[in-house]
Amino acid sequence: MRAIETKQLKKMYGSVPVVNGLDLVVEKGEIFGLLGRDGAGKSTFINMLTGIVQQSSGTYSLLGVACPNAQVKKRIGVMPEYSALYSSMTAVEHLQYLSSLSGKPAGKQRCIDVLHSVALAAHAHKKSREFSFGMIKKLGIAQAIIHDPELIFLDEPTSGLDAESVLVIHQLIIEMQKRGKTIIMTSHNLDEVERLCTRIAIMKAGQIVRMGTMDELRAFYRQTVKVRIKHAPVPAAQREILYRWLKTAGTKLEIAECYTTIHLEEEKKIADILRAFHHCKTDVYRAEVAGPTLEEIFLDESE
Amino acid sequence: MYAIGKREFFSLAKGSKSLMTISILFLISYFTVKPSGVFVSELTVEEAEMIHNAGLLIFILLFGQLIVAGLSHDSLNREMHERTIRFLVTRTSRAGILFGKFFGVWVFWFMCLAGAFLLTGIVVRKLDLFLFSQTMSLVTFQITVTLLFSVLITKPGYTMFLGIVTGLAFPVCGLFVTYTSNVWVNWLKFVSPYYYLERNDAAFLIIILLAGIMLSLANLIFKRREC
Repeated sequence: MRAIETKQLKKMYGSVPVVNGLDLVVEKGEIFGLLGRDGAGKSTFINMLTGIVQQSSGTYSLLGVACPNAQVKKRIGVMPEYSALYSSMTAVEHLQYLSSLSGKPAGKQRCIDVLHSVALAAHAHKKSREFSFGMIKKLGIAQAIIHDPELIFLDEPTSGLDAESVLVIHQLIIEMQKRGKTIIMTSHNLDEVERLCTRIAIMKAGQIVRMGTMDELRAFYRQTVKVRIKHAPVPAAQREILYRWLKTAGTKLEIAECYTTIHLEEEKKIADILRAFHHCKTDVYRAEVAGPTLEEIFLDESE
Repeated sequence: MYAIGKREFFSLAKGSKSLMTISILFLISYFTVKPSGVFVSELTVEEAEMIHNAGLLIFILLFGQLIVAGLSHDSLNREMHERTIRFLVTRTSRAGILFGKFFGVWVFWFMCLAGAFLLTGIVVRKLDLFLFSQTMSLVTFQITVTLLFSVLITKPGYTMFLGIVTGLAFPVCGLFVTYTSNVWVNWLKFVSPYYYLERNDAAFLIIILLAGIMLSLANLIFKRREC
């Protein structure tokens, strides 16, 4: 079953399209990552799907149900980008109140268990006005999962958390996926997205410019081969000749004292490069052929 | 809806402003019940019985909008301002949120006024359900006006100010359009709840209809509001 399906979903603010005719299908059980620079439309897209803002045009369905639909809201969990809390409520009171709104009132023990899963059990009975930013974030995640939803939206779930808490949240996300939940997350932490997400979409100006698994994204970018060569310092007399030759052989040339990085159109050109170093009387110690990282793909796509 | 209403009710019932409101209502009941007042002592028994219960209605007529707005002007827009509304709109329908808020505020006022009327009823040994219904219909209208403002204006500071202005202007304007013979403004009496309160029949039900229109309008606006 499809967890999310959008057709030409659009959101306009005045005459400016923030989300511009987005078609997307997310299958059940995926951890789907949305990437994009600030203002790319990620949060607006999630806000539309979760009912925080209304779409200008287009349609969408969640868990196979055409939306907006009040009943399907009980089956989704949302951690909005800006999580504000009721200052007079404790963490447990928050979870009890919000779970009752989802039609699955949680008992005290269930609340404590969920708080434990986000490493917040020690502050279960503290008023939220005393919470730090990180604790607010964790309670934001806890309220999103308290009613055991099938589809969970997490808008930057780990931003502002310490390293230990980030690991706890990562573990929680992986466990939820193992239990068959679908998770949609946005993040500015590319390592996190690369590690957790089964599929990734890169958004730019309200549109998805690239989408796929990490392997699919890499395969697309492997049209050029990135080669990193560790070598001895190039003799001064040979430097100009070598660099001129490298510039004609590939692109994105980066030259340091003992390292050279170059993007080649074909793998067979690697041998030519090595011969050029040899010709210029420069020993090569190591040559690495690297696939593009998510960071490189992201920067390239979102430029 | 029920959970939102329950929270709204308890947040109203807990606050110090609410304690003051309840105290005022009970004090009014007490002093209108007390037969030692010069004004009351000069009335016939029947008139005195009426004045006991009418005291609360007159109070709500003159100051109801002010007090309702003072207590509930920010019931929706504070959630929007502080963005806690996002927890609600992602869980339940917007109509459910609005009606939940209305339900909570309405039950609070029902409890306060029922208590005050009961106190009066015990002393004079007569429970005037008609006057109670009239008073409740007026309060219902005032609650819906307050909720409409809270949906229309997203900043709680502005609704507080607007609540005070309308709280003072509503009875003055309402009573003016009800009793004026000026044909240019006279027609406005039909949308004023005060017009329907001067009649001793079921006309007060029209006030509930007006309240329903206000709440529907608030619902329409809230559905389009970005949170």
